[in-house]
Amino acid sequence: MEFLQTSLDGILFGSAYALLALGFSLIFGIMKRINLAYGSSLLLGSAIAVWVNEHIGLGPLGLFLVTITAAALVNIYVERLCFCPHVGKTGVTASMIASFAIWMQLDEISSQLLPQRTHEFPGIEIGSVEIFNLYLRGDQILNLWVAIIAISALFLILRCTRFGLLLRASADNPETAKLLGANVSRIGIVTFAIAGFLGGTSAFLILSSDGHVTPLFGLWSTIKGLVAMMLGGVGSLVGAVLGGLLLGFLEAHTTNLFGAEYRDISTFGILFLVLILRPGGLMGVAHYRTDRLAHERI
Amino acid sequence: MALPQTQVGATDMLSVSNLTTSYGLIKALNDVSLVAKEGQVTCILGPNGAGKTTLMFTLAGILKPVSGSVQFDGIEIAGLGAPKVLQSGLSLVPENRLVFPLMSVRDNLMAGAYLRHRSKRIEVENDLEKMYERFPVLKQREEQNAGTLSGGEQQMLALARALMSRPKMLLLDEPSVGLAPKIVDEIFAIITQVKSEGMSIVLVEQNAIKALQVADHFYFLDQGRVSFNGNPNELENEDVIRRAYLGQ
Repeated sequence: MEFLQTSLDGILFGSAYALLALGFSLIFGIMKRINLAYGSSLLLGSAIAVWVNEHIGLGPLGLFLVTITAAALVNIYVERLCFCPHVGKTGVTASMIASFAIWMQLDEISSQLLPQRTHEFPGIEIGSVEIFNLYLRGDQILNLWVAIIAISALFLILRCTRFGLLLRASADNPETAKLLGANVSRIGIVTFAIAGFLGGTSAFLILSSDGHVTPLFGLWSTIKGLVAMMLGGVGSLVGAVLGGLLLGFLEAHTTNLFGAEYRDISTFGILFLVLILRPGGLMGVAHYRTDRLAHERI
Repeated sequence: MALPQTQVGATDMLSVSNLTTSYGLIKALNDVSLVAKEGQVTCILGPNGAGKTTLMFTLAGILKPVSGSVQFDGIEIAGLGAPKVLQSGLSLVPENRLVFPLMSVRDNLMAGAYLRHRSKRIEVENDLEKMYERFPVLKQREEQNAGTLSGGEQQMLALARALMSRPKMLLLDEPSVGLAPKIVDEIFAIITQVKSEGMSIVLVEQNAIKALQVADHFYFLDQGRVSFNGNPNELENEDVIRRAYLGQ
């Protein structure tokens, strides 16, 4: 029973990791670029929301909306500054280094907005539920639902809309997508905005269940997002979701067995094992195989 | 430079005058003028590096010309950019096919109709069915990733994808490249069929013998310039090829 309870807690928390990893994976999948400033964009988004909340006061819904909007706007800022000017193959390295540099800038702005070590991030008070002797925190159930809705919305947009078709086309072959009338500059903005909404949602879920925000959240979410993405397989969106859930699951069990101080060590231990046993991540090997085969043929 | 003489009768669909495109300091196209008529196949021949693909990319709006004009169906399209050129009815099938390898055949075709997808959903669905009738192999492979198709099938897909935008004129860049002779015959049969339905085509080919069989008029491009042009029936094929490739 305890195993089941721990697994459930882990998966509920892992849904927020899944959103983080999706944000990374979306940008990697569509732009073939790694955005190292992603975590600090989410920190700045949250910092802006907390700052507004401390000055004029926001309800839980207001806090959520300001967090995701600010995260999306900061992400667009990063895209215009670090990714938009660097096109082609050489742009991969240039944009990655630029995003690493801008990470520092965003962290600095965040620390100006959050001068104290910790600031309160109001949580949502929902009663707990008990089913078959399993104890579920109300806010975590809400987290899971929000994550499910956000993930389904993303997959629906990608699979069923005209714009999603264009996003997939430009992920697959940007030059040809241009030929068919795609506005590549706009695709960059929208991709980063969507990644910002997903990451902002994740940041809100994690911070509201922690109850506070610290300037270390940028680094923390970058690491968790990258590890979850690596676990699932770079470039695979389904892999990102699975990687996030798996990371939450494994962390919960490590915490339960060895104590909370081993939680982050377990993250890197798992990454170490995956990189040795399955270097492309869980879904990554298959993803790369089709990708490579497909590109060899043309 | 005066426009080259072509056959009388059909109206000019595309007229290019004094077009120059550069990559930095290197002029890839130098003062190129040519005319492609409605309902005809106009063929661009020339050796590697002659500027054929540059010409196609400039016409399709991917490359911006340094100078010159491109009149298509009564409007000036030089430097308009790919989306607007496509909307005006000029659709390019790029060299090496360039399908979307990780997307299904169906999604590839839908991407071809991207620009008119929003306003004319039902029309697009109908066009999709028409493409499946014309290319039954694409219907069979509908849900397969385009990267798993054979070279010939990918060429058909690229052609069908271009037709999905309902163009007035097709630009075909080396449709036979890298394909087995039997498949090349099939592709040229399709080109002939599309032409017989009234489509205007500009065809770039290395395979001069094949190309001259379907062409109504040809231009020979050498080092970024039009070196000569004519009608295939005025010259023996061997003559054209000798003059073109051996400089005689």
